[in-house]
Amino acid sequence: MTLIADRPGPGAARPYRFPPVVRRAVAGGQVVAAHLPGQNLAVALLLLDVGAGREPVGKEGLSGVLAKALEEGTAQRDAAAYALAVEGLGTALSTGLDWDSFQASVVIPVDRLSAAVELLAEAVRTPKLDPADVRRVRDDEATALRMDWANPGPRADAALRADLFGAQNRWGRSLHGDPASVAGLDVEDVTVFHSEWFLRPGTLIVAGDLERIDLDALAAAAFAGTGGGPAERGGPIDVPLHSGRRIILVDRPGSVQSTLRLGHPSPHRAHPDHVPMALAGTVLGGAFTSRLNHLLREVHGYTYGIRGDFASSRRFGRFAVSSGVQTAVTVPALVEAVGEITRTQATGVTEDELEVARSWRAGQLSVELQSPRAIASALTTLVVHDLPDDYHARLRESLLSADVNQVSAAAATHLHPESLTLVIEGDAAVIRDDLESAALGTLLP
Amino acid sequence: MPDSGYPWPIQTSRLDNGLRVVVSEDRTAPAVAVNLWYDVGSRHEPAGQTGFAHLFEHLMFEGSVNVAKTEHMKLIQGSGGSLNATTNPDRTNYFETVPAEHLELALWLEADRMGGLVPALTQETLDNQRDVVKNERRQRYENVPYGDAWLRLLPLLYPPGHPYHHATIGSMADLNAADLATFQAFHQTYYAPNNAVLTVVGDATATDVFALADKYFGALPAREDIPPAPDGRSVPATGQTAVESVSADVPAPRVYIAHRTYAFGSPEYNVITVLASVLGSGRGSRLYQRLADGERIAQPDLVGAYGVDLAHAPAPLIATATARPGVSAERLAEGLAEVVDELATVPVTAAELDRAKALLSTGWWRQLSTVDGRADLLGRYATQFGDPARIADQLPGLLAVTAEQIAEAAADVLATDRVTLTYLPEETS
Repeated sequence: MTLIADRPGPGAARPYRFPPVVRRAVAGGQVVAAHLPGQNLAVALLLLDVGAGREPVGKEGLSGVLAKALEEGTAQRDAAAYALAVEGLGTALSTGLDWDSFQASVVIPVDRLSAAVELLAEAVRTPKLDPADVRRVRDDEATALRMDWANPGPRADAALRADLFGAQNRWGRSLHGDPASVAGLDVEDVTVFHSEWFLRPGTLIVAGDLERIDLDALAAAAFAGTGGGPAERGGPIDVPLHSGRRIILVDRPGSVQSTLRLGHPSPHRAHPDHVPMALAGTVLGGAFTSRLNHLLREVHGYTYGIRGDFASSRRFGRFAVSSGVQTAVTVPALVEAVGEITRTQATGVTEDELEVARSWRAGQLSVELQSPRAIASALTTLVVHDLPDDYHARLRESLLSADVNQVSAAAATHLHPESLTLVIEGDAAVIRDDLESAALGTLLP
Repeated sequence: MPDSGYPWPIQTSRLDNGLRVVVSEDRTAPAVAVNLWYDVGSRHEPAGQTGFAHLFEHLMFEGSVNVAKTEHMKLIQGSGGSLNATTNPDRTNYFETVPAEHLELALWLEADRMGGLVPALTQETLDNQRDVVKNERRQRYENVPYGDAWLRLLPLLYPPGHPYHHATIGSMADLNAADLATFQAFHQTYYAPNNAVLTVVGDATATDVFALADKYFGALPAREDIPPAPDGRSVPATGQTAVESVSADVPAPRVYIAHRTYAFGSPEYNVITVLASVLGSGRGSRLYQRLADGERIAQPDLVGAYGVDLAHAPAPLIATATARPGVSAERLAEGLAEVVDELATVPVTAAELDRAKALLSTGWWRQLSTVDGRADLLGRYATQFGDPARIADQLPGLLAVTAEQIAEAAADVLATDRVTLTYLPEETS
């Protein structure tokens, strides 16, 4: 035999250490940095406490339009000159939005970081916001969303979110808005939102070789001309569960796959069950070896993949499962997925499964936290959720020490198979009758 | 900024059975990337067997002599690792990044499926993964607007019989016809140690890796008569333009212009890489400035140009734009063609060249900022050019490209054999 039959055990574990974190108050704002000695690339990220949750109801997508408008010229130069200045350094202004924060960042060789941060601040703090430019950007964004919504997924996501959280609430509407909400924005919405939220100092996140970076100078550039204190964040929102399972069919005529989104509300980020919930979600739908992926992909071949997880922001959370399945097996795939969620809620997880889940999640901390970009992202987690510098080290410990009882209890408490909303985006003419006769829940009109 | 494009050590070895081993030590994080490049891709597939190299990649995760079905994923994820595999026209790569203490496990798993896949391969597994791949085809190519553009461009760019004529995902008919014996033979033919490069990057010494490689892979037999793929390096110019127009369920007209250029790895292809960046990377690019910002006929987020880095035949250069509301496909196609054509007639300025090179430099360092990014590139240079150390020449090669070379390349490859693919929304066509 030419192969070695015995599986090797692990060598001596080498401890993972999150890089040293530096926190500093400078020029009216906060700096949070991580030291990555010898790293050629650096990341600077301006984090503002203005997530999509700050957008007024009916104005969804405002942040996205403003983000694009930031690059349409500044107090100092026009759009083309700004693009050449930023890209001439070898970088691009990257913006991001979630429910809790807005971020603008640059990734760049460390010797050009200060020039890049000056340009980043120039766009965020002193954009021209010429009315004609803002209107054009708004129209382009509305078209871009219309293009995106032509793909399978966004309409199903929106339907699920509205049913879970209520379309009368901002958090019951799409994170980035929809084509109609963006088309309805006017110039004043954008300029007022900018002056209310984008002139507060916020936090400057830096990941790189700090021996080659002058944090005070970066902060002075990032916080110049800012003012205003921290804003009220609002507490966790109590989102009621539905009594009984609901089905929403989103028609996509001719679709060769059905796009599935299953979900229900779950706790916010600071809930004490955060870690055991995450592990329960990992066993059920997180890893490739998860129950859902094993059953629907590896056993039945219904799909290229299926994932499920608990996700949370400061004020709310949700459990959701997503997949695309061949049209002909839409109902069987739903039956299997709901069955697996039900089984996990009722009987919990096994030690064997949990062992994989906790080792995977803990190991991912050392595997994934390599690049300056990944480290910067980890630092934003500390800031957004008020976590201590040793959070990642402690997270590793709490993942590795979670036991079957805790994780099974989290599954029992936080999975609600009878309150699931099942959204199916697919060819209604083909699947409607099957859905009605499957008795999976109430088909909403 | 370092002068070399790769300021880490590279050590290489070759086992007696021909397996090449590349090690690049970096102790920054306690993680190690393991990467195997097999020199087999969809270019090796004969007519009637399209999609087989990729379907085979799926079978490599379904168990081998000492590894039960689905155990591969479970063991890697259970050790905290990330893993995946990809297939393209040129090659198939398998990779995992694990906490450093699990290096030996990863090597054991890779050796077991290199040397012991066939006895574990069953009809049931084949049938299941065939269904999974057919779902992948639906999800990625059939169910999304413009999703089949790549499938349409390849046969327009490469003649029948050329190794790049068909797409890696294959046809449903060929996938349906796949039988077990063909896959057993596929493994025996191509998954030999002398047809692979094993690269390990990160928290491990070369001495340890060479010893472990020999322990786990050393006894696997070499195969001496691995059949080469058809030679596609020379594609005679036809002097013709190819135009295809598709009416489909798409939200707006979109145009692709594509050309065959040069093979990845040649100095000429470096010129194409910089040219593509001048043409289509970022808001300062010609396409953005002219079509999105200037004439405002194209959607700002959907203009771009890129080369597809294929090494065994002239690689494609693709430029694309999507119409703004009210702009016809004809007007968009004219505008796009005009900007592409001007690469040969309007000299690239120093500012344009500097911008493109700065973006490419940052892109390069981003790719190398993780151990897995480095491992895959080292495997590429070892497999395709016989020397992983050639990785260090890539960035200097890009930075040496001149405006004159761009104009010459544009005149050489963009003037003839143009492929234009246009999508039209169904209701307006």
